[in-house]
Amino acid sequence: METPHSSHLSILARSGAEAIKPFAETLIPLLGDVEVLKSQTGLVMLPMRDTAQGTAFHLGEALVSEAHITCGDIEGYGMRRGRDLEAAMAMALIDAALQSGIASAECQAFLDAQQRTQAAEDHARLCQVEATRVDMETF
Amino acid sequence: MAYVATRGGERAIEQAERLFRAEMGEITEARVAEIKAAMPYLIDRVMGEASLYDEDLAALALAQTGGELFEAVLVLRAWRTTQPRLQVADPITQDALFTHRRISAAFKDIPGGQVLGPTLDYSHRILATDVLNGFPFKPAEVEPAAQPAPAYQPSVAAWQADNDLVDLPPIDDTAPEDIPDVTREPLLFPAKRAHTLQSLARAETGGALALGYAAMRGYGQAHPTVNELRLAEADIMVRHPNGTAFSAGRVKVSQAEVVSKKGEKLELGFAATLGWNEVKCISAATLDLNSAGAEKGSATEEEFFIYHTEGVESSGFCIHFKLPHYVTFQSSLDAMRDAKAKAASRKEPAE
Repeated sequence: METPHSSHLSILARSGAEAIKPFAETLIPLLGDVEVLKSQTGLVMLPMRDTAQGTAFHLGEALVSEAHITCGDIEGYGMRRGRDLEAAMAMALIDAALQSGIASAECQAFLDAQQRTQAAEDHARLCQVEATRVDMETF
Repeated sequence: MAYVATRGGERAIEQAERLFRAEMGEITEARVAEIKAAMPYLIDRVMGEASLYDEDLAALALAQTGGELFEAVLVLRAWRTTQPRLQVADPITQDALFTHRRISAAFKDIPGGQVLGPTLDYSHRILATDVLNGFPFKPAEVEPAAQPAPAYQPSVAAWQADNDLVDLPPIDDTAPEDIPDVTREPLLFPAKRAHTLQSLARAETGGALALGYAAMRGYGQAHPTVNELRLAEADIMVRHPNGTAFSAGRVKVSQAEVVSKKGEKLELGFAATLGWNEVKCISAATLDLNSAGAEKGSATEEEFFIYHTEGVESSGFCIHFKLPHYVTFQSSLDAMRDAKAKAASRKEPAE
């Protein structure tokens, strides 16, 4: 079951770096003291479930960037595919702001805009995919 | 028999590496970006074999090695070891794949229909030589449908199970952190299925094809039919420190199910890999289908195909034969000369 927090994080992880970084910059003065616990690249192992015998196995690893911060009692977290540490930090800052109720309206507007962009990308792709559907005719 | 330490050759080695790299010239961010944009299927192949998903790094590895694929995979696998493993994601399941292509050669009317997606399967293979004469090749644009395809497609095997054609397997609920991992533990035989499938996922494409093709041509127990082939994207489901699961982005994956027609029910072979690489998945699934009961030393026996499709080990072993073997070779020559001399002495007529 996807929670609002889960949805927010997924949208932020997929947001373009060119959008997420400047928006996060606007939040920095509002967040107060920020302690950076982690800012690093690393790997996430991806398991998969085989459909023949049901076995879970490792498909391989994906490179991700991770940022983990605290603002008072709030833990902000970012993890995104790729090696852009600044983008991961931007995600953590926005996560912290969302959880703290800081600039809520602006954050929600940013998330809504990003979600629309991502949904539009998926829609456009799936319309292209649908164009390749085979309409079988039996003679 | 003795080992002889030698010196010399440092300058030659240094200049040889320079000569290799001189052919590629300067490597810039723009060149890496161009490789990434122009050759997505090569990038996918390298990422799958390296077992490391990052298009930028794969493009860089190709730029740095001049497209020498074994070297590109090796440099990526080596780089991988410098990185910490931060998390193990939730297992990818078939019903959660954002699907771009999904076909079946076994059944025409599968639930969800046949969606070809991006493919050259039905195209004429004609080289666009006009490009070399200054006329750019501009591909025709896709004419999108008015309605989108479903993002998630049902499983063909589940539909077959409803029709009593296959038995669906029990779900393996091993915790992600406890799934066997060939990069962190020894590969022993008979292999754990998780090790076999992981090895095939990172197998060298040509190796998997060669052995899979041997099985397809009759050197195996079962002839494959593609039950389901998918090119898709999977979410990397990770955890926030407070436990919230979320997607850290998507990766391209391909998976193939092949089926044999023996017995009362259909038997399935399976393989998947990072990136879009259909030939490897169909070949590897064919090996999986044929491995049960395969004769020792045959192409479809698991020890044989797991070892011989491991690209870094096999290419490394192959190229090590270029390294100086002067002592061992000299020793063999001595033995040959000795045998020859003894044979000659035996042939001398008695006085």
